[in-house]
Amino acid sequence: MVNKTHTAVIAAHADGRVLSETWDLVAFALQLNGGRPENIEILVLGDNIDRLAEEIAGKSGIDVRAIFCTGLTGYSSEVYLSVLARELEKQADLAYVCAPHNSQGMDYAPALAARFGAACISGVNGIFLEEGTFFFQKDIYGGKIKANMVSHTATTVLTIQSGVFKLDPERQASPGGVVRTDARFAIDRTRFLGVRKGGGDCAGIAEARVVVAAGRGIGELENMEIIHRLAELFPKSAVAGTRIVCDQGWLPYNRQVGVTGMTVAPDLYVACGISGASQHVMGMRGAGFVVAINTDRQAAMFNEADICIVEDITTFIPLLLEIYQQQYNDNAVPQAPGNDTSGG
Amino acid sequence: MKILVCAKFVPDTDHLIIKESEGGKAVIGDLSEYRMNRFDEFAVEEAVRIKEQSGGVIVDVLTVGPEPSKDVLRRAMGMGADNGIHLAVRGEQYLSPMVVAAGIADYAREKDYNLILTGAMSEDMMNGQVGPMVASFSGLPCATQVILLRLSSGRRNDQSEENPDASSDWVAVYVEREIEGGNREMLEIDLPAVIAVQTGINEPRYPSLSNLLRANKQEIETIALGGDNSVLKAPEDLVSTIVPPKMRAGRHVEGSAAEKAEQLLLILHDKALIK
Repeated sequence: MVNKTHTAVIAAHADGRVLSETWDLVAFALQLNGGRPENIEILVLGDNIDRLAEEIAGKSGIDVRAIFCTGLTGYSSEVYLSVLARELEKQADLAYVCAPHNSQGMDYAPALAARFGAACISGVNGIFLEEGTFFFQKDIYGGKIKANMVSHTATTVLTIQSGVFKLDPERQASPGGVVRTDARFAIDRTRFLGVRKGGGDCAGIAEARVVVAAGRGIGELENMEIIHRLAELFPKSAVAGTRIVCDQGWLPYNRQVGVTGMTVAPDLYVACGISGASQHVMGMRGAGFVVAINTDRQAAMFNEADICIVEDITTFIPLLLEIYQQQYNDNAVPQAPGNDTSGG
Repeated sequence: MKILVCAKFVPDTDHLIIKESEGGKAVIGDLSEYRMNRFDEFAVEEAVRIKEQSGGVIVDVLTVGPEPSKDVLRRAMGMGADNGIHLAVRGEQYLSPMVVAAGIADYAREKDYNLILTGAMSEDMMNGQVGPMVASFSGLPCATQVILLRLSSGRRNDQSEENPDASSDWVAVYVEREIEGGNREMLEIDLPAVIAVQTGINEPRYPSLSNLLRANKQEIETIALGGDNSVLKAPEDLVSTIVPPKMRAGRHVEGSAAEKAEQLLLILHDKALIK
């Protein structure tokens, strides 16, 4: 295999702001290049990206190629694919393309890899070098196992899980240069009709000191009641859930914690019947103290917990509440039979 | 209107037993319980709903994998898909998404599918690559993480006359795809297109007995993956697996259920998290 040396980082931005994923990508690319920025270039695509390009070059200390796509207001898979393919083809020594493992990178990176015949490794959250070969780590089987992947192709496309590789805030770097170029593109078959704003109301979960979260182990809607009752044990608490629980309609989507939901950092996070897939875990890593309850001793959630309890939540939580009543009930915690309104 | 749904047969992650060998390598125990990838159930359901809402729709479901993968086709046909296609591979070797996607694109070539549906990702390998790669190999537009899908008619310049067959009138698909912050991107995409659907787009049904009986009698088209010219080599490999390191203390509380509950309450009390 030819030893190629160039790393291209595809910046992520939305609504005129640099997304934090971009800094994670920079941190990853630096690690991949032994801390040296010489062989790295950051590509920024879009309309009106002057200020974004300067900000990225300034903070990263890495050269930026600002690719002006006049009229491209947001993200477009069609434009990203055609423009990136054309720009990167010029780079004869292209070894790595680093894209964010978010709604943009997950959308265009595999197609870009297919176009280049390049290996594609998704959701990279670890990297190590052994005998001159890079091994890229990623979660498989819901995070129960990590896989060590190697690439056999001269160019490799990677999507990098956010929140894993962090740019050192103390890092001193002289700003990188900005090269400006114009890209012609045509939007043929995909028409962007705008963004429908969701979110906003997050049912007080972001402010809660204690978050009691339910996963698929809940089993059925009727069992949500014990989650609400457990939450009532704690002052300033809120009930949240995984994507699956919200998909089932057991909780509204504004209570979903994870990559496609909210990110929370309460003092205590109680994970009830949650398997612990990375999509969920990314949303609660900042919690102060984590208790996980799950029937599966090997649930990935236990790797993210301070206290692990192998029990069925549907029997364990009622028992816990009963014992609490007996042993701690000086201030008479009211039982809430059927008049629970915290479900939102 | 012809729809192709790609579905994968995966080990049930909930029942996966992992042993840790010397040096932290993960050894996967008996993989006896397999099922249809949950993400793909939503893709099958979406196709069947389109079929039910309009006449003249044929739903083909395709899987890539070893012999037992056929079960996933029977289940999809039980849910209402018309035909099953099995792109067979031998053994349990690492299956690269690129090789799988190339095989699917090869099969779909010249079959005039209007819509190709996949799930957002597989539960086992968690990549989400096959959909966009099939689109790339087939030269089709693509959208991933799609949470709402509506077929729309009209708008194509070369269509002048009204067509009485509703399904052949569809020229585009309106989709909403999930992006960060609970927001949705709204797109209109010309057909044919590849759409990877997100969980929650619908409620997948259970297979019906009558459909399952029909599926059991029906022949499944079986073709070796990549056909005779299987030259595409996996561009990457899964070399080894490890048990993930603990990110926190991970202290297991042991004893009877009551003892565990007492200990947990004590810990929470000591940390001033409960009164």
